[in-house]
Amino acid sequence: MSKKIIKCEINNQEVEVPEGTSIIEAFKELDQSIAHYCWHPGLSVAGVCRLCMVDIEGIPKLQIACNTEVKEGMKISNQSEKVKEAVKWGLEFHLINHPLDCPICDQAGECELQEQYMNFGQYSPNMAERKVKKRKVVDLGSKIVLDTERCILCSRCVRFTDEVSKTHELGIFNRGDRSEIGIFKDKPLENEYAVNTVDICPVGALTSKDFRFRQRVWYLKTADSICTGCSTGCNIKIDYNEEGLFRVQPRYNKEVNGYWMCDKGREVYRLPNKEGRLLEAKAPSSYSFKREDSLRPSRAGGNPVSSVEVLKKIRELFVKKEKAPQSALVLTAQYTVEEYEDLVSFFIKHLGTQQDIYYWRNNPESFDDFDGVLLRGDKNPNTKGLLEVLTNQGAIHSWESLQNRLKQKEIEVLWVAGPENQKVYPDLKEKIDTFESYCDNIIWWTAHPLSDSQKIWQIPTKTFFEKEGTLINHTGRAQKVKAVHQLVSSALSLSESATVLKGEELKKQEPPFLVTPMKTNHFTYKKKVL
Amino acid sequence: MSKSQKDFKLSEEGLAFVKKELTRYETKRSAILPCVYRVQKENGGWVSPEAVSYLSKIMDIPTAYINEVLSFYTMYNKSPVGKLHIQVCCNLSCAMNGGRELAEHLCESFNVKEGEVSANDEVTISRVECLGACDIAPMAQVNDKYIGPLKKETVVEEMKTLLEEK
Ligand code: SF4
Ligand code: SF4
Ligand code: FES
Ligand code: FES
Repeated sequence: MSKKIIKCEINNQEVEVPEGTSIIEAFKELDQSIAHYCWHPGLSVAGVCRLCMVDIEGIPKLQIACNTEVKEGMKISNQSEKVKEAVKWGLEFHLINHPLDCPICDQAGECELQEQYMNFGQYSPNMAERKVKKRKVVDLGSKIVLDTERCILCSRCVRFTDEVSKTHELGIFNRGDRSEIGIFKDKPLENEYAVNTVDICPVGALTSKDFRFRQRVWYLKTADSICTGCSTGCNIKIDYNEEGLFRVQPRYNKEVNGYWMCDKGREVYRLPNKEGRLLEAKAPSSYSFKREDSLRPSRAGGNPVSSVEVLKKIRELFVKKEKAPQSALVLTAQYTVEEYEDLVSFFIKHLGTQQDIYYWRNNPESFDDFDGVLLRGDKNPNTKGLLEVLTNQGAIHSWESLQNRLKQKEIEVLWVAGPENQKVYPDLKEKIDTFESYCDNIIWWTAHPLSDSQKIWQIPTKTFFEKEGTLINHTGRAQKVKAVHQLVSSALSLSESATVLKGEELKKQEPPFLVTPMKTNHFTYKKKVL
Repeated sequence: MSKSQKDFKLSEEGLAFVKKELTRYETKRSAILPCVYRVQKENGGWVSPEAVSYLSKIMDIPTAYINEVLSFYTMYNKSPVGKLHIQVCCNLSCAMNGGRELAEHLCESFNVKEGEVSANDEVTISRVECLGACDIAPMAQVNDKYIGPLKKETVVEEMKTLLEEK
């Protein structure tokens, strides 16, 4: 159903929009700036902040842009003195009871109140009234803290819990200047999408417990990426600096995730961080490298050695043979399409056949779940991609057949591209145990260390933040992740590993990104103060 | 206030009332106002958080919505009140006729602070704005009855009689 297209003029610039478009949407269409707090493209219109004032030719009073539809031939402006004056006073009213505690507010630097003040501030405030004091550190649940004084009552967060998460935890309680956002005592803000309210809160009223006080936002850089938390593949922005990654936020994609992402997905920023990563390759503890292998001296608890050297050794032991030992390849759906292609074709060329490749499916019971909003039971970013590569190679085999072959001790070398996000592989330990009991040589690609083992060679892999590649989401949509920076210098992608295993030289790598250890905010973390 | 709030339940008639209210308006949310008032009536004059949770269940409306309405209006009591809730009008007509002094006098006589509950749960005295009965100023609303014009000399006796009738 196509809507009638109508023409209007915004600040003397002509624009065509479908009938029913609001004035604020037309402003956004033209990328014209307009002050606003309560309007959010993903939510219903509330029209409560009164900041989006516009002048419409022929209408004596100013109108709010968010709740006025564009009509054919309308001439709209927000450049007149009249509008500026109105916004100025609107803002002044918002600030009557606002505590102005930016120096200790976590939102400072990305606060819309600050931004609007730059354009429309009075700079010498006229309010002599005493401010109404309200509750300051209100615990809304495990993820979010509320400061009711800073809230400007735009109601975005309330509309979010009503319209998007449909969990209805938040409300505006009391009346007049005592109005405040709150939860009813029996229902904390604990839904799977709660942290979106922190993103859409224009001020520092709602802050995330995980992120607050860890970084000033002006010390962060932003990179686009894809969430690897499940097969939905929400589009995200990653905020990071030389200490590492600090948070992810949703990036608008109409087709995939709209304006939102789930709270579980927000945890993916931890995966690439150096803390908790496997920093260097580990040979089985029984295997000791000799000096002439030109490797680093061994440290307690395994043999940390450079991954390229270890892969060369592995090539010598298991690949460069007259007759390749009986090998099997196990793949998890946590890598990029390009990596699967490279590793699988290497495997088929040098080590085994299509019959020797297996797909490790985690949590089969809840694999097909969907919560109705975004989150899917398939906690892998690239199941479709993996299956596509395997089908193209004619290589899909049941897990049982691998188990049988293992039990018959048929497999001499097992190659495993293990999960990047071990948390979503509840069967990880069980699988390791099975593999170890029936196979003596296991090569395991992993971003995070496994416990030391007599049989496992661990190769550190690059995470989604460190490599370029394609992930295919549950609808078959191919999305790219970009290499932003490398955090672990010896980490290799599966493709790079395949190159080394083939005996070829790696292209010279980008110099590793120097990461200083992450600082902890002792005030918040040691004293457990919010 | 004697029985535990956890066990609060509406009477048969109260339940029937809620059911009817739920069908009366375009949206269910509109029924919150009368239903909360009903709860207050049946719960000895106030609405406890437990009663809100109870109402939320029988109305199938989130507790936050009910609490929004409850916290907005001062006519709902959010803490327990005495057997008599004496709301003394202190707005213009009543104030000119001694409403404020009346309120003070009542507090002293029953030895209770404004808004609190006196000994043996007898009375709660609070000041309110114009109740639209200026013709009988100074006046008070005692539970759901209007009484006035009140006289300082007799008001305490009058209240005590009402208490006995309770
Ligand atoms: S807490 Fe934030 S999002 Fe919610 S009403 Fe207040 S300012 Fe708006
Ligand atoms: S729904 Fe899936 S892809 Fe989207 S944020 Fe959550 S875990 Fe990530
Ligand atoms: S954005 Fe239009 S009134 Fe708030
Ligand atoms: S002023 Fe008291 S009833 Fe009007």
